[in-house]
Amino acid sequence: MKLSLPMPVKMVGVVLGTTAFYMYLGQIVPQKEVPPPPPVLISEDMTTEELIEVGLELANGKGICFSCHNDVRAPGFDGIGSRAGTRIEGMSDVEYLAQSLYDPDAFLVPGFAQGMQKMNEPPISFTDDEMRAVIVWLQSQGGTPTVTLDTDLGY
Amino acid sequence: MSRNKILFGIGVLAFVSVIVTVRLGGFLVDNEYRQPDRQVAAEEALGETELTPRQQGIADEQAADEAEARALPYEEAEYRTVPFVGSRVTVWVLAQLHLLFAAFVLAVPMFAFIIEFIGYVKKEERYDKLAYEFTKLLSVSFSMTATFGAFLTFGLIILYPKFTNYLMHIFSPTFLPYVLLFFLEALFLYSYYYGWGKFGPKVHLFLGFMLNVVGTAIMFIANAWLTFMMSPGKREDLDGDGVPDFVSAVSESGALLSLRDAFFNFTWMPINIHRIIANVAFGGSIAAAYAAFRYLQAKTDEEKAHFDWMGYIGNFVAIIAFLPLPFAGYYLASEIYAFSQTLGIQMMGGTFSWLFVIQAAVIGNLFLGANYYLWLGMGRIEGTAHFQKFIKYLLIAIALCFAVWATPRYAIASVSEIAAMGGSSHPQLSYLGQMSAKNTAVNILILSTYMSFLLYRRTGKQSTHPQRQLLSRAQVIVFAATAALVIFYGIYGYYVDAATRIRFAIPQVYSVLAAMAVITIIDLPLYRNARQPGETQWGKMPAISQYALIFIALSFTWLMGLMGYVRSGLRQEWHVYGVVLDTSPDAYTPTLGFATQVVSVTVLIFFGLIGVVFWLSSLSGKKAYEPKTAAELEGGQAA
Repeated sequence: MKLSLPMPVKMVGVVLGTTAFYMYLGQIVPQKEVPPPPPVLISEDMTTEELIEVGLELANGKGICFSCHNDVRAPGFDGIGSRAGTRIEGMSDVEYLAQSLYDPDAFLVPGFAQGMQKMNEPPISFTDDEMRAVIVWLQSQGGTPTVTLDTDLGY
Repeated sequence: MSRNKILFGIGVLAFVSVIVTVRLGGFLVDNEYRQPDRQVAAEEALGETELTPRQQGIADEQAADEAEARALPYEEAEYRTVPFVGSRVTVWVLAQLHLLFAAFVLAVPMFAFIIEFIGYVKKEERYDKLAYEFTKLLSVSFSMTATFGAFLTFGLIILYPKFTNYLMHIFSPTFLPYVLLFFLEALFLYSYYYGWGKFGPKVHLFLGFMLNVVGTAIMFIANAWLTFMMSPGKREDLDGDGVPDFVSAVSESGALLSLRDAFFNFTWMPINIHRIIANVAFGGSIAAAYAAFRYLQAKTDEEKAHFDWMGYIGNFVAIIAFLPLPFAGYYLASEIYAFSQTLGIQMMGGTFSWLFVIQAAVIGNLFLGANYYLWLGMGRIEGTAHFQKFIKYLLIAIALCFAVWATPRYAIASVSEIAAMGGSSHPQLSYLGQMSAKNTAVNILILSTYMSFLLYRRTGKQSTHPQRQLLSRAQVIVFAATAALVIFYGIYGYYVDAATRIRFAIPQVYSVLAAMAVITIIDLPLYRNARQPGETQWGKMPAISQYALIFIALSFTWLMGLMGYVRSGLRQEWHVYGVVLDTSPDAYTPTLGFATQVVSVTVLIFFGLIGVVFWLSSLSGKKAYEPKTAAELEGGQAA
């Protein structure tokens, strides 16, 4: 016997079935709730190790640096501490890293496109102390951390 | 039991319930404790009225409440909450419903006007009738748009008072023009609808044209408000180094610096273009769903033929607008990247990247649904066998493109699966998850759907053009060359760096657009005076084709909800990106699962309401009520 449903029932079935299917697609992809980045406190009495820790926290959270710096979209961070002083002739590692953060389009690593935002501008809006923390963390990636909260970055 | 008796019984029951409730309330009040009348009189005579403990308690409570209220200082609320669902979801659903109805109300006049104009030029009344049928849907939808607009405004004022006040600080000069334009839109819409057949054709067409102009202007103003929240400024090369700098329309504290820059902000025009095209696609699909609803209800062949044709036109409008939509979306996305790499990265490579896999699945379904309807449509035309053999190849191409587009770069896998694959991405299939493959797939998908249209257009026709063989071959060469070029760039993209690969999308997009334009230009003269041995039999579509139209409309609606979420959600914890932070408890970005639940509920509410619009619109075609004659009543009683 052929089962024939009334037209309104079929119509409601199409509407509910399609919506349920699309909603199901939304449930099977990875689920991640993203909270706003927590405030990071920087104080004068922080040791270099503590500043490195804060720098990593900033790079990972507020700065969302790892979204791009993965060697595909932008250069990775492995060994940046040792490379930074040799990228541009006559420029120290601190000067180079500061330039990369305050004025990222001033020099582009060959093979990568411009487009990184100035990290002291919205929406990232790193303060100068936060910049110092990030730079000291970058120095720690294969180099020697020298930057303190008193370092003049030239910007 | 007859229906009248049941209704009468319900009425009596309701009346009795009211009487019983009133009497019961009166009884309870009458039996409350009271002081004896003589004691009250004596106390009044002595001038000392003594309160009962209960009365004293009530009086004390009132005095305490009043004192507490007077002691409270006035504080402006930053946020207010809604129980159970929360403020954000409330505003989200209201905004989406307002937007869906607004999109429909803006889109339908566009193609109603064009269809009416075609009817005027061709002197064919059926076009005029069709345009009127589309316009019938407008008046109730317009009321719905206004209602949800009011809900949304009140929702924002109540739930986000401080932020709404801030937006008023920026955009208050635009409010009066907005209201005036809204008034004008009502004037043009109702005169266009009620004036059908009452004015001369040129005057009526002018009303339709003005309705479109005013409606578009309204949308442009509203778009300024929402795009400002995403990109509150513009980019301009201030230092002459060739790299555009960000010029904010507001100061660091949020004070307005330039209304012009706030209004004509960076993403304003890309959103305008994207919305106009998307609205037409969406409006066409909803109008086609209405036609499907009426087709399935139709009792006569004439009705079926009319609504079959209406469904076909609605779907045609939807798909024609849908084909360039990915390009408009690409333009919008590239402008978002150009405005802020951070926003762009969040969209495609960060928090929202998986949303685009869902989007691919929905768009793939839309293409499949649209092509399925077209292929079924060939059945209404005699002499289709010649073209139907191509369908299987088109289906294979579409299915393959769909599969590639929906392939994610990184797989969702268990620990053992990740170990077996050697990472979170599949060793071979992950190549299909890259941008090169996806861009290629979507371009071939568009090209294939366009070819479906072309086949449908040719069905049952024989060209009489003297150069028909040459022109047909030229079309095939253009099609094949474009497909080859798109695939070439897709493969070559794997061998170049990221910056070059991104740029390959541009020739892919332009070549497909150019191919569609060239093939259309060739096709018009080729089939201008074509012989048509096979007749189109409108009204001969199987019922499943109408459910396909409803499926397409639903997919469009769901997709609009999803993309509305990503456009707004991109700002993450910002009300105004980089300027005004959201400090409410809802400042986090929800999971995609939760977002799709909200989108689904909104879509179901919209479809419930659009069902009411369909029903109300269909009433105008029904016969007027006629009371039963005495003979019919007697016949009914005897039965």
